[in-house]
Amino acid sequence: MKAGHGVAVLLLASVIGTGNTAPQRIVSLNLCADELVLRLAPPGTVKSVTWLARDPTLSNVSALAQDVPVNRGLAEDVVPLAPDLVIAGAYTARTAVALLKRLGIPVLELKVPTDVEEALAQIKTVATALGAPAKGTQLIADVRSGLSELHVASTGLSQPIAAVYQPNGLTIGKGSLVDDLLSRAGLRNLAVERRIDNYGELPLELLLFAQPDLLIINTAEDRGPAMAYEVLRHPALARRYHGARVISVPSAWWSCPGPRLVDAVQRLQHAAQRLPSLSKAER
Amino acid sequence: MAPSLLLGGLLLILLVLSAVSLAVGRAPLDVGSAIAQWVRGESTLATLVLIELRVPRTLLAVLVGASLGLAGAALQGLLRNPLAEPGIIGVSACAAFGAVIAFYSGLSLAAPLALPLAGITGALIAVVLLYALAGREASTLTLILAGVAINGFAGAATALALNLAPNPFAVTEIVFWMMGSLADRSISHLLLAAPLMILGWALLLTSGRALDALTLGEDTAASLGVQLSRLRFMLVLGTALAVGSGVAVTGAVGFVGLVAPHLLRPFVAHQPSRLLVASAFAGAVLVLAADIAIRLITVGPELKLGVVTALIGAPFFLMLVMRLRRETI
Repeated sequence: MKAGHGVAVLLLASVIGTGNTAPQRIVSLNLCADELVLRLAPPGTVKSVTWLARDPTLSNVSALAQDVPVNRGLAEDVVPLAPDLVIAGAYTARTAVALLKRLGIPVLELKVPTDVEEALAQIKTVATALGAPAKGTQLIADVRSGLSELHVASTGLSQPIAAVYQPNGLTIGKGSLVDDLLSRAGLRNLAVERRIDNYGELPLELLLFAQPDLLIINTAEDRGPAMAYEVLRHPALARRYHGARVISVPSAWWSCPGPRLVDAVQRLQHAAQRLPSLSKAER
Repeated sequence: MAPSLLLGGLLLILLVLSAVSLAVGRAPLDVGSAIAQWVRGESTLATLVLIELRVPRTLLAVLVGASLGLAGAALQGLLRNPLAEPGIIGVSACAAFGAVIAFYSGLSLAAPLALPLAGITGALIAVVLLYALAGREASTLTLILAGVAINGFAGAATALALNLAPNPFAVTEIVFWMMGSLADRSISHLLLAAPLMILGWALLLTSGRALDALTLGEDTAASLGVQLSRLRFMLVLGTALAVGSGVAVTGAVGFVGLVAPHLLRPFVAHQPSRLLVASAFAGAVLVLAADIAIRLITVGPELKLGVVTALIGAPFFLMLVMRLRRETI
């Protein structure tokens, strides 16, 4: 995140240099950036967000996005808007970002936060760039107080083990925001115990043998069927994991910096607390 | 080679491979004790993995392989063309397209049987189309060109359907439908596909003697009492049922239907009726062996089944084409 600050500072310098005003024509090219600009930017200054932002199954701020024009991550969508600030993800819409930079449009690139602290730092970076530092500080304080209310002391090995099981049999391991949220909720992450970094494959056979106490799946299934979900419906999995041993967390809750991080931890913690009485009986 | 010896040998190989297939997987599993626990009626992790994961996977490999081998032999007999194969001429690809439509439209969630039925419909359209384009005395060239066109169209249509599917994961599944996989299939997949598949086998296997007569040409076969239109109907429907229902749960697996009949043809004195059963066994052996190989290669995410069958099948296909060219010159 050090580099992220650097970019922001550089960018602010250029913005300030051109007239000392906050950006008035803001465009976001990334789903997580959509959430931050819609929450933090002064009304009327957001000229475009991604088309994903309006989708309630993907976005935390779909209601706020309904009246804002949308783009599909293409430079052609952005250039005619004559933005004075574009916020993009470090890994998404790369060709558009390269072109915008060549045209001299200021672009702020956001990395994927690997823990809660980085997520909060990102809120600060964006709020500063948007010219709304006070709102950013407020949001960070809200998230911090929400998380500290939920804080539980780590009890080490007696903590229940959770496995994040995503479509296609992928799991999320060390060095991810999700992993940090799991440990804040008092859960051990199976992928970390199995030394799986970031997004790794967790074969169904191994998952069954590892016997995690809690299975966490993403909810996006209402977006229509995909082969990727078939594995979540496998009878071998369904037989062992039902009721309190399976919970779902909307992926938008725990992938983007924002107040939903608190909701994610709360839901995980609630699930963890309901476990002990059940897991013995069902094992 | 004596028929009983050949089939006995193939059955033995199949049984050995099935045992290996039950023993091979990502989780460490003592198959012997797992079977003992299962027999005693205990429900443990080991029996769960064995019964719910490895048994369906093994059975599905055998059934799909047998279907492809059998359909390959039958199509080669019907079209009297050594390059006819469900994968190459687009039958598998069309079946996959049908299954994709049923699956991503949500139809198969509402009515599970819609999935194999849509696969069968896709395969049916492909076989009929192929017969219309390249049937009767068509040259190898016509058949292959028609196959390339059908295959390409079905592949593109599948990709388009997945692109238009509302689920963001759907687009990443193009590889699955083009290459096929048996990973994490369940007993419900098996029960869905097997009955229709076996019905298809029955249709194909009863056409053996008519196929023998057909080797002498359509006119001679007709004079021997073969009802050609009926034979055609049975083979087309049988192929669609066997390949379509299989592909609907595993995706398209290539080259098996090509390689299996050619491997076995010398052993059955080039007699189509005997080739059918032998080729079914060979297909089952090939797919099962490929699926075992996939599970033994534990580097990175699991390979797709079609990758391994194509690695074996494509060089074989080239060899076959070269030999055909030499013969025609």
